[in-house]
Amino acid sequence: MNSAPIIAEQLARHFGEVKAVDGINLTVNQGEIFGFLGPNGAGKSTAVRMLTTLLRPTSGTARVAGFDVVKQADEVRRNIGVALQDSAIDPLMTGFELLELQAVLYGIPSNKMKQRAEDLLERVGLTAAADRRVSTYSGGMRRRLDLALSLIHAPVVLFLDEPTTGLDPMSRLTLWEEVRRLNREGTTVMLTTQYLEEADQLADRIAIIDHGRIVREGKPSDLKRTVGDPTLLINVSRQHSDAAKAVLARFGDMRPTAEGTLGVGLKGGAERVAEVVRALDEAKIVVEHLELNQPSLDDVFAEATGHRLEGADNAPQAG
Amino acid sequence: MRRKPADVLRQFVALSRRSTLAIFRQPALVGPSLIFPLFFAALGSSSFSRAISLPGFPEVDSYLQFTLAGTVIQGVLFGSVTGAAALATDIEEGFFDRLLAAPTSRTSILFGRLAGSAVFGAMQALVFLLALLPFGVTVEAGVLGYVSIVVAGFVIAFAVGALMSVVALKTGSAEAVQGTFPVLFILLFLSSAFFPRETMSGAYRRVADFNPISYMVEGQRSLSLDGISLVAMSQTLVIPLTLAVLTTMLALRQLSVRLAAR
Repeated sequence: MNSAPIIAEQLARHFGEVKAVDGINLTVNQGEIFGFLGPNGAGKSTAVRMLTTLLRPTSGTARVAGFDVVKQADEVRRNIGVALQDSAIDPLMTGFELLELQAVLYGIPSNKMKQRAEDLLERVGLTAAADRRVSTYSGGMRRRLDLALSLIHAPVVLFLDEPTTGLDPMSRLTLWEEVRRLNREGTTVMLTTQYLEEADQLADRIAIIDHGRIVREGKPSDLKRTVGDPTLLINVSRQHSDAAKAVLARFGDMRPTAEGTLGVGLKGGAERVAEVVRALDEAKIVVEHLELNQPSLDDVFAEATGHRLEGADNAPQAG
Repeated sequence: MRRKPADVLRQFVALSRRSTLAIFRQPALVGPSLIFPLFFAALGSSSFSRAISLPGFPEVDSYLQFTLAGTVIQGVLFGSVTGAAALATDIEEGFFDRLLAAPTSRTSILFGRLAGSAVFGAMQALVFLLALLPFGVTVEAGVLGYVSIVVAGFVIAFAVGALMSVVALKTGSAEAVQGTFPVLFILLFLSSAFFPRETMSGAYRRVADFNPISYMVEGQRSLSLDGISLVAMSQTLVIPLTLAVLTTMLALRQLSVRLAAR
């Protein structure tokens, strides 16, 4: 039997006519950071909710930490840590009180609770704020506390649902570093994100999900390689748009871009940029802006789905 | 895998502690359910002072003495909405999911919330008894009477909290729970909380005769005015306990429905 910590086979969840997750197959290996990348509403959170026993699959099966998510739900819960994006932390309690409560829920003996809570608070840099009510915490502090709460029982698999959404760049970096450290210590991590950079920076492997289906899966570097040519992006005035498109099409396949921008997968790479500029000049097209981007996960996403990842350009850049 | 009873008990105690702390950490939320019943008692005392001489009124020194039981029940009824609203907030904001993602006993989640309401209900009863003491309002049944009324506060808050939790679990909306508040208010006024049933007539009287709040109030009132008796003790404690059993069953059923629908 496959002993991977997360295995999903034809896992699906339908809400009436809506196929939120439409039969996904997934294997996350021991010690991996696995990124689940997709726009809002793609099915990431629904998939994670099934894997964390919060939602029953409509069909298909999943095993997490060696246990079936439906038939052995309690065993799954004992072995996983979960930090959900939309799972609030009680603002009336202090960080320390919440860790104590979490310790009780996971059956940690009373004589070990205090030390464990203190260790985790130190780990996430919240020792000084331990006795403050959560209502006084910043967004970043709440996420770090959320991470600490999910680690109280030293889980073998950790689920992080959009762990850095809404965080400032510094807080994102701090959280990334902590995730890497946990992973180095042996925790298998599955994280969902809509941020390309996050998936690129953190994940050993990623799956791109769109409309409930996994459309690409693999190492970020391998996936980027499959896209091949770099993307040449240009901005021209509206009246030159069609003419520019015709010129660019001579140099490769047109690629989906943000509105107002034209993109082409430039065959032959950077060496051909001058040639494109000359061709545009000969066609009397005034170029307002031009840039050459090496293949990114966004290109992978665009190539796989036909559209760019929503919000990807709005993500705060860390580092 | 079955959970060990000791683990379930530990979880229940921890969740009860959370819900009790939450109540005492929100003075703006709990204040009104302590202040308004006393305000109504003071208002009634000044407005209805001569009503005690009406035929059908028991022999009492003051309207305040008569209204002690109504004040206690009124406060406890209103206060118990707070716990159920907090349960709905947990559902709305995702704390409920946090508890479900852990190996938490599902019934502990519900009972932990209700325990907070019940502790607050007992505390309210005690506060009202003590607050009216300087005005000569005493409980004729003595220490046992005081203890019974406080225990009744605990049980009534648990029972009503469980009933309101059905709404919380069904809708997952704190607003929906708060929206039931007027129903409790109407039920209270259609009982003998402020006037004896003997002074009522027509449909008002018939509703009050069927209203369990009437009997709970009259039990406490009898302890307060007449002293200890088997009937008064039964009305004070057995009716709330019976209601608590029924409403808890309803709440547990709704919890199962909610969990099965996931």
